[in-house]
Amino acid sequence: MAISESARPGTATRPASFAEAPDGERRRRPLRSYWPQYVAVAPFYILFLVFGLFPVVFSVVLSFTQWDGISKLKFVGLAQYAFLVQDPRFWTSVANTLIIWVISTLPMLFLALLMAFILHQNIRGKGFYRVAFFIPNVTSLVAVAVVFSSVFSDSFGLINNALTALGAANIPWLSSDWGIKVTIAVMVIWRYTGYNAIIYLAGLQSVPTDLYEAARVDGASSTQIFFRITIPLLRPVILFTLITSTIGGLSLFTEPQVLFGTGASASSAGGPGDAGLTIVLYQYVQAFFNFDFGYASAIAWALFVLSAVVAFINFRLLRDRDDAMGDRKVPMFQRRRAAARARSRAAESDAVSASRQTREEVRS
Amino acid sequence: MSISSDPDLLVLWYWTRSINPNLLDQAARQIPDSTKRLRADVVGGNYDSKLRTSLAGGAYIPDIAGVNSNCSLYFPNEERFVDLNPLGGSELKSQFYDWKWQLGTTPKGRMCFWPMDTGPTGLYYRNDLFAKAGLPSDPDALGEAIKTWDGYLDVGTQLRKKLDIALDINAGAVFGCYLNSSEERYFDRQDRPIFSQSGSAVRKAWDLAVQAAKLGVTGNLQTSNDQNAGWSSGRVAGHLEAVWWGPILADTAPDTKGKWRLANQPVKPGNSGGSFLMVPTTSKDPQAAFDFIKWLTNAENQAKTFNTIQLFPSTPASFTGDTLKSDNSFYGGQEYQTFFRKAAEQVPITYVSPYENLCAPFGSELTNVETAGKDPNQAWDDAVAAVDQVLHKRGLV
Repeated sequence: MAISESARPGTATRPASFAEAPDGERRRRPLRSYWPQYVAVAPFYILFLVFGLFPVVFSVVLSFTQWDGISKLKFVGLAQYAFLVQDPRFWTSVANTLIIWVISTLPMLFLALLMAFILHQNIRGKGFYRVAFFIPNVTSLVAVAVVFSSVFSDSFGLINNALTALGAANIPWLSSDWGIKVTIAVMVIWRYTGYNAIIYLAGLQSVPTDLYEAARVDGASSTQIFFRITIPLLRPVILFTLITSTIGGLSLFTEPQVLFGTGASASSAGGPGDAGLTIVLYQYVQAFFNFDFGYASAIAWALFVLSAVVAFINFRLLRDRDDAMGDRKVPMFQRRRAAARARSRAAESDAVSASRQTREEVRS
Repeated sequence: MSISSDPDLLVLWYWTRSINPNLLDQAARQIPDSTKRLRADVVGGNYDSKLRTSLAGGAYIPDIAGVNSNCSLYFPNEERFVDLNPLGGSELKSQFYDWKWQLGTTPKGRMCFWPMDTGPTGLYYRNDLFAKAGLPSDPDALGEAIKTWDGYLDVGTQLRKKLDIALDINAGAVFGCYLNSSEERYFDRQDRPIFSQSGSAVRKAWDLAVQAAKLGVTGNLQTSNDQNAGWSSGRVAGHLEAVWWGPILADTAPDTKGKWRLANQPVKPGNSGGSFLMVPTTSKDPQAAFDFIKWLTNAENQAKTFNTIQLFPSTPASFTGDTLKSDNSFYGGQEYQTFFRKAAEQVPITYVSPYENLCAPFGSELTNVETAGKDPNQAWDDAVAAVDQVLHKRGLV
């Protein structure tokens, strides 16, 4: 990963020693003699070719055709893409995806950071909280959707009942444009805040405690410590969670799909007014309800382009920060911060590897 | 290529609760009047896309397959399915409801989708709430009062005025029910769109549904949780739906047992849902497959299926004698099965086009009118434009 590679001191020396190796003999040995190694790694590559690469390549081909899934493929050139750029429903889905992504990711990452910060203080029952934070992440999404649609139900929901009891008006959570987006965002926040908090917690634990102690001795408040020490030191971890949340946010599908159910008809996909219709959900409807695989593939590639643009922005943000370190145009206060950052580099890289480790442990 | 290589074994694909398990057990030992056996595989998830995948790949295709009420989706590829008429199907035509038989007949007149169960519709309503509102609560009297859709709107308006409750969940339910009881739908038999012509059935259904929403006859309940809560709490006093909805309602609102009744819906009943069986041309023994189908759907076995899993027969002869049993306690003793048998006799013959799934914008625009107060004329124009655009892209206009 880019973050950890750039942050890890000493990686630059290893490739150099490789290049110096004068061992030309080894490289000229025939491929045949390596067959046991190739056989050993073959299962993964064969599965990847069949289930990974082939569908990807085939979807490129499909996006230039009209195909209903049974009849013969009919090549239509760029017609699917031409339709795509002027399809208002597609643009609605793009806007929905971006809006839901913003209103879910920003509060979620802030909440997660806050929770991790509190957990990192010496409070009791840390183990309990860590498990409790993780449970939403492993709960079946269908069950979650059932609960959420009851809680947010327009006329019989818990929230609206509470609002009525307080004398406020009912909010049509599941039938108005913003109500639907907020409900989906709340589902995402509920599900992933704990996950991100655990990653931040791992990052926090590798921040040297003497920094905090020094700040306390100097009379800094908890708020000051949080914003002046915790957040700057966790920057690589925050960027990591931002990137994973971007990937998740752009491919948001299950939440709106189970919330409104596409089982009965394609018209209910995404809820009233298409307010919860995300890009991947629209692609799913085109492929498996309208049986228009060509158009669904075109949508998939449009999503790829969008993801690439967002990834590029992420990459630029990251690179610019790193360049700023030695840049002469950096103002004084930033240079001072850069010096502080240099001191904590080792700590940062540990934080990232710790967070990766947590993630891998969780995955397994 | 078939799924099983055993020449004496036919493989059937179906989904849960679509075929009587007792009959499948019997066929697993031996298909009656045949030397073959049957293996029945339940296929979960998105049934149609799995079936289409096997047909597209030309491999692992079942010898017999169930198809839901969207069987017309397969009409453009009808050459992939066996015409069951020459195998002895045509002789049995008179035993089935003609409208059901027509639904399974392709535009070229081939019988590729054999009738299983049906879904005649009617008005489920809360007898006690109607009485409380001073409205006709007896099934016959109510049926008389809602003989026309104007009468239906009138009854719904009074329910809203007197008890502040809805007669149905949302405008979409009324829209769908109207179309399901109409001879004319979105397309004509040559698959040419007719919805935008003036006075089309789709437009009439639309106007009716918009009117129902405006008068508060429908309750603007768009999610199934809200809808279920509506019926069980008594804030929705009815629903226009098919026979198979009865058991679902009994599960959803068990506390309302004995308070529901059934009345004839306005004008005439329609059909909603109901499935079919088909034999792909790759089937290893189409004749044996048809023998199984013939046996599974004979009047006696359809009666058994109704008694076991409440799927409504497509053969009128299933009702003769006393073989059909039904528990009428949920409907206060009203004869559930007799009501729908009479409805089934009046369902009109219609044509469902393979391209109706592209007409979803009508449903979503109707929801916009009901939930967001969108101008109905604007919503109609938007729906027509959206469907036209897709039909144009598909080369259908």
